[in-house]
Amino acid sequence: MNINSNNRDSVETCQVLIIGGGVAGLSAGLHLAERGLKPLILEADEMFIGGRLAGSETIQVGGHSFRLEHGMHGIWSGYRNLQAMLARHNLRPVFVPAQEENWIYKRGPLVRMAPVGSRIRRSFIPPPFHYLRLFLSMRFLLMLDPRDWASLFNVWAGLIMAVGIDPFAENQPMEGLTLGDMTKRWSPAIKSLFLGLARNGLSSHPDEVSISGFIAFLRFYTLMRRDAWMFTYLPNDGGTSVCEPLAEKIKQLGGGVRLGSRVKRVDRRDEKWLVEWETAEGKESALVDHVVLATDPNNAKKILSASIGEEVDKLFFPRALSNAIIRLWFDAKPRKTSEAGIFTGDFIIHNYFWLDRLYDPYRRWARETGGSAIEAHVYGPPEVLAQPDATLLTRAIDDVQQAFPELRGHRVGQHLQRNAEVHTLPEVGAKDAWLGTVTPWKNLFCAGDWVRHPAPAFFLERACLTGIEAANAVLEGRGLERLALIEYLSPEPFVAWIEKLMKRGRAKRRARKLGK
Amino acid sequence: MFTYLGNLLKIGRGDFTLDPHIVVYYVTMQCNLNCAYCEDFGSRRNHLVTPAPPLEDAKRILKVIRTGVDRLWLTGGEPLMHPQLLELLQYARQDLKFQEISLITNGTLLGNVVARSDSGEAISTHEGIASPLTRNDMLLYLNNLIISLDSVDPQALNMVSVPDAYAETVIANVQEVASLQKEHNFKLILNAVITPETLPSMDRLLAFCTENDIRISFSPQAVNNLPRYDLVTSKEYRAFIEKVVEIKKQGAPILGSYNYFKALLDQIPYECYPTLVPRILPDGWLAYPCRPMEKADDEQGGRAVNLLSVDTWEEAWRIAKHKYGEAPTSCVSCFQQCYAEPSLMQAHPFEHLKEMIRGDHLTTYAPG
Repeated sequence: MNINSNNRDSVETCQVLIIGGGVAGLSAGLHLAERGLKPLILEADEMFIGGRLAGSETIQVGGHSFRLEHGMHGIWSGYRNLQAMLARHNLRPVFVPAQEENWIYKRGPLVRMAPVGSRIRRSFIPPPFHYLRLFLSMRFLLMLDPRDWASLFNVWAGLIMAVGIDPFAENQPMEGLTLGDMTKRWSPAIKSLFLGLARNGLSSHPDEVSISGFIAFLRFYTLMRRDAWMFTYLPNDGGTSVCEPLAEKIKQLGGGVRLGSRVKRVDRRDEKWLVEWETAEGKESALVDHVVLATDPNNAKKILSASIGEEVDKLFFPRALSNAIIRLWFDAKPRKTSEAGIFTGDFIIHNYFWLDRLYDPYRRWARETGGSAIEAHVYGPPEVLAQPDATLLTRAIDDVQQAFPELRGHRVGQHLQRNAEVHTLPEVGAKDAWLGTVTPWKNLFCAGDWVRHPAPAFFLERACLTGIEAANAVLEGRGLERLALIEYLSPEPFVAWIEKLMKRGRAKRRARKLGK
Repeated sequence: MFTYLGNLLKIGRGDFTLDPHIVVYYVTMQCNLNCAYCEDFGSRRNHLVTPAPPLEDAKRILKVIRTGVDRLWLTGGEPLMHPQLLELLQYARQDLKFQEISLITNGTLLGNVVARSDSGEAISTHEGIASPLTRNDMLLYLNNLIISLDSVDPQALNMVSVPDAYAETVIANVQEVASLQKEHNFKLILNAVITPETLPSMDRLLAFCTENDIRISFSPQAVNNLPRYDLVTSKEYRAFIEKVVEIKKQGAPILGSYNYFKALLDQIPYECYPTLVPRILPDGWLAYPCRPMEKADDEQGGRAVNLLSVDTWEEAWRIAKHKYGEAPTSCVSCFQQCYAEPSLMQAHPFEHLKEMIRGDHLTTYAPG
């Protein structure tokens, strides 16, 4: 699909310039274009629109073509604005429902496996105690040892603490505390499960993960509602399923998309912004009323530093991390197992997805050949990611074959992909230092999964939400009506009651401290 | 009831591939209206869809369905455009002995008042069905007659479904049929699609139902398998659903479990069990595992097997599973009333019991 508006017209006519063609930039672009404005999206990638949700090049395995992407994404039930936006424009594909998520745990030579996802979302026990349902599963119990039972109190104390604090809504950075501190007194298996969740959710080492980010993550995806852990997958890579149709829609509505445009500076010129960027052909610029900065945090900082200067150094930008994606093809199927899950303990890979059960092209291939294909993600630590390709691939293959030994000798293809440092590590910054959608600079707005907003949303949903909010800020600036957001669901009643008690307790403690 | 209890046991055992409560058979895809919200049918698409199959084929399809299921919904398109609907109903009731039969119609072809266009022509050539005598015969075979009526305000109806000239006809037909419920021992149910256009007149529709002893169910207009954005973000929609819940508690003839209304109010995700309400297309194809996935026609599902080529329901399901794999045991991929309510009722037995005490069975709850 050719989505590039490669002509000067799109620059001349644009009213809003959006820097970054990921989900945040596309969401902003769509909402502005549907209101009759002419946004132009500048995407640095030469070939593909969509940022971390983009499709990528096609590779051949055994004579079959497979399109790559940044990595598999879940579309969670909490991604309410993303889903509503896609549906409103008839762009929402029929998603693939998630059936089960396994926890695979290795300690020493022992590899154990238990289904966890459906137990949590279908638990008959209300949150925050819904995880107790896991203890009714024999396979889960076999993962534990006596130390896990002894440390259960510590685990629940940690979870209850997470119920009492809403880091995004309260803007609580909880500086200096890491996930490693929170789980210090937890036992190996339970700790491994939650660290595995954090690895998957936050893509970083526990000692690097701030407690605020972890708590916000837990609250959004599982802690406050059982149905928060209901999700689906896209039926194909993110570019084909979402980003390319979205970009096409923006163009139909009068907007533009320019690939291979690397923005270097945004400078204030009277009441306008001068945006300068480089392309393969040379330098270009445009003078516009409004700018939406919708890149990853590293690039946002780089552009702002080059343009605004030292003032930017005082601001808080969450870190962005690299990762590696390994895909393996087999000429046989694994024994009956869930379509996805997490790896914890002595593995280097952190999760897996059986692509032949999720993505259409892989399903077709598997039906024709009887084969299977798996995608595994490695989120670090840096010393693991620093290993040479051959070593990393060998270790990942070994991990997969330890979990699925029946596939030894059946591998027919492999691919290692290294992603640049663009994956946001969610953190909460101090309010006055953390950029929100409305910035200190008039008519320059920010959007992305790293941007401050009181909503509990994460990743794709946060990118979409802040994209809509940035568009709303532009619309308001032009005297146009805002677009309504879909609200997030409240916590379930019991956990909401605990949250209320905890907050009341914290308020009293604060009042006592102030009194002293 | 046995199916319901059997499914509860299955859920208790952790097996979520549930047995069907009802099978929906699309008697024809032809329609005489062009409802604005309909993403499936409409007379504008009549030339694109396959015509209704010969009566013998339709009977054979019902016979295969009967080997696995004892409750049947007939829908369309507009089922009353099927020239031999009466014979089909008679066969389903008398020969196949379906325990419960429901028919879903737009009501335009039901009464002795035949709708006419401005030029005086009848809106359909199937006046045989529309004649009161034939209609009354048809009612003998039905447990539930479900009429899609989105408003009693002709202007609102005109905006979404029924042309101005026919609006009063449909309303008159509904009133007349309502008066026949006791005599012919069937339940009349209205299903109203809530759209931004019909929402302002929903109160009048509710009053109309109460006055005429008609049950009513509501579904929000869906766009791309989700409730319409500008509906669910409107205060008026929220206020209306809250009001519906309130007056249902006071005994108004409103169908729908409280869980369903909660889902409508806040778009709360629910686990859909697509195998509860399988759908069969007019020419016999099983839409596997559900209609949205069949329509997407990707690797998740499709027209898996034609019932004309098998002898039993079990065989059809086996072939479908072989082709596309196991049906999802739970799904949050879309929000469709016709799947939502059976799934919610199956998952919440106390809600189901409460509704049964009110005299309404699960199979009357999802007429979309």
